[in-house]
This record gives sequence, C-alpha cells and structure tokens, in this order.
Amino acid sequence: MSREAEIRQALREWVVKTSGKIEPQELDDETPIIERRIISSVHVLDLILMIEHLSDTPIDVGKLKVGVFRNINTIYRNFFAESPDGR
Amino acid sequence: MGGKASVDLRQHPGCTWYENGQSALSGSLLELFRRFDRLFVEWAKESGAGEYSFPVFIPAHELAKLDYFGSFPHLVTFPVTLDPEPANLESFARSFAGPGAPLGPGGAIRLTRPAAIRDVLTPAACYHFYIRFQGETLEAPRVVTTLATCFRREAHYTPLERQWSFSMREIVCIGSEGEVKQFLAKYRESLDAFFRRIGLPIAWANATDPFFNPSRNPKSIMQRIEPVKTEMVFGGRLAVGSINFHQNYFGEVFGLRRAGKAAYSGCVAFGLERWISAFLTHFGWEQSDWPDIEMT
Repeated sequence: MSREAEIRQALREWVVKTSGKIEPQELDDETPIIERRIISSVHVLDLILMIEHLSDTPIDVGKLKVGVFRNINTIYRNFFAESPDGR
Repeated sequence: MGGKASVDLRQHPGCTWYENGQSALSGSLLELFRRFDRLFVEWAKESGAGEYSFPVFIPAHELAKLDYFGSFPHLVTFPVTLDPEPANLESFARSFAGPGAPLGPGGAIRLTRPAAIRDVLTPAACYHFYIRFQGETLEAPRVVTTLATCFRREAHYTPLERQWSFSMREIVCIGSEGEVKQFLAKYRESLDAFFRRIGLPIAWANATDPFFNPSRNPKSIMQRIEPVKTEMVFGGRLAVGSINFHQNYFGEVFGLRRAGKAAYSGCVAFGLERWISAFLTHFGWEQSDWPDIEMT
C-alpha cells in the first residue's frame, strides 16, 4: 500500500470510529464530513491533532482556510500532498 | 438623497435613544419598521410559513442543551427576581424607604438575595422553534416565522445598529438537507433581486457567530473553516441580516426528525433596526426620497 493510500485509510478509519454515525462503506473520499456533521465541533480539535500526528507537522489553527476539512480528499490535499493549498 | 456616510440617528425625531442600548421609534421610523416587517412576513408566506408569537423568556435548561452559556456568556441577559422569602423582601423594600433611595453607583440597584434564575431573555428568534417542535417527526418540510425582541449584552451600543434589545424577524425551514438548502438558495436569490431593485448596496460575506474566546472555541473554528452563516453587509460594516445553514445541529439536539434522519434547519434573519439604519444612511431622512420597498 502506498503512503497516500495508508494516510487516506487512516483518516477514513478515524472518521468512522470518532463519529459513530457512519458505517465504513458509507464513507468515501468525497463524503462531506463537516457539512453532514459526521464530524462536529466536538471532534475538530482531535481531528487537528490526528492530522498533526499523521503528517508530523504542527497546524496553525488561526491560518486554516475555508474548506480544508470538507472531506478526505481536501484533508489529504491540504495537509499531505506536496503542494498544499490550505495552510 | 442622503450620502452613504454613517448618520447620527439620535438626531432623528422618530428615534429616541436610551444610553442603556435601547431605542424607541415613532412617526416615519415606526412606519418604516412596520413596512419592513410586513415585507418580511410576505416573503415568509410565499413559502407557506406559519406565523408564531413567542414569550420573551426561554428556559435556561433548553438553551443549555446548545451549550449556549459556554459559547456566549458575554451576550446573555437574565431576568432577575428577588427570593420571595418575606424577610428578604422586607429587607429590600426597607432599603428603598424614604427619599434618596439607595441606588448604587451608576444607578445600580442593591439587590438583596436573588431568586434562582431559570430563564434567559431571548437571544435569537429561531431558538423558540426548535424548542417548540422538539421530539417531532416531520412529514413535510416546515416553514415558520416569528418576530422577536432579542437581547444581547455588548460592550458598546450604537443607535439602531448595536443594541442591548433589538427586533429580529426570522423565517425558518426545518426539513431534509435538500429541502433546507433549496429554501436558503431561494431566499438568497430573492434578496439579491430585492436589493438590486431598490438600489441598496449590500455585499454578502461569510461570518461566524460571536463566540466567546473565538480562537479557542471549536465551534468558532468549525464555522470559520466551513461557513454556515452568510451576512447581508451594508456599507462594508453593518450586517442587516443573515442566511444561516444549521446543518442537522438543532435536529440532533432537539430530536427533530425528517425522512428517517435528524432534521436539517436553516433560517433567514433580519435585524429590523439595522435595516432602518442602512435605509436612512443610504436614502436619506426624507420619506419622499425613499424607494418603494413593497413587492410589485
């Protein structure tokens, strides 16, 4: 499994486990996890910690841009891809 | 026609300003207030909205379900009464006997023991609906409207623009995700057309609710990265209203169901006094210069 596939799988597993509202087969990388409140505000700080842990890079909360946590794809693009556009 | 610079509405004969952050309207301003509200009710009725009138207090235990007190402690206003124990009342009454009643600095009342506080003065009109309908399963989307006097404590007040008590008309839709999104999109379009027609310069801007300690509040962080509030901003500074998508937050908290899931909700909110302020600032004080706001 590539590093990218591992990260995406870890993110999906975290979302399913943390939310408790969704089955693994219901979550794909375009599922709007914030808009549908699969992940809500009570989880957002844990999500940030989880991304920091996976990426081994600190996140400046004050500089987060609109839409960075919208779905697994946006999280990957903004925090793990080589040309992040969200921080 | 008047200029676009901010005007001191304290000078307007139809506005009486109280330094405790409240205003009284009369004459042409009261008539304008009523015209705006009639217009908002007409817009609500185009969606088949039912009209409601609510009391001014909201039970604190209901707002606590929304973590209101942790999120907005700086805004909340409580109704206070005295503990009805006779000696307590006598002690309070005695302190007011005779001339020169002993008010404290700045006119503050010296309370004796207060009774337990179990209510809050309405901070936003739409809360009443989720509380009123809690536990219901909706067979169809529900659109409702109400006008409420709302209370938000602020550090500074400005006539008709930032007040301790002010008037908020809301049109609320509770339904499925698609039904609520369609409702909000329809009002966004209608409002755009209205502002264009009367020539009031309004820009839409993403906003967050005024959370306490926003940089440390997860709800504020969430609203910033996934905007759910879009404000109608006049003159780059004054939000006269907003369109809000609550997702299924109120549905989950208050057990509202639609189509087998927690209901979604959204609202269109209008601050009546701010509409008057924007209107007078842009079109001037002379009624003859005002555009016809009624739908044609």
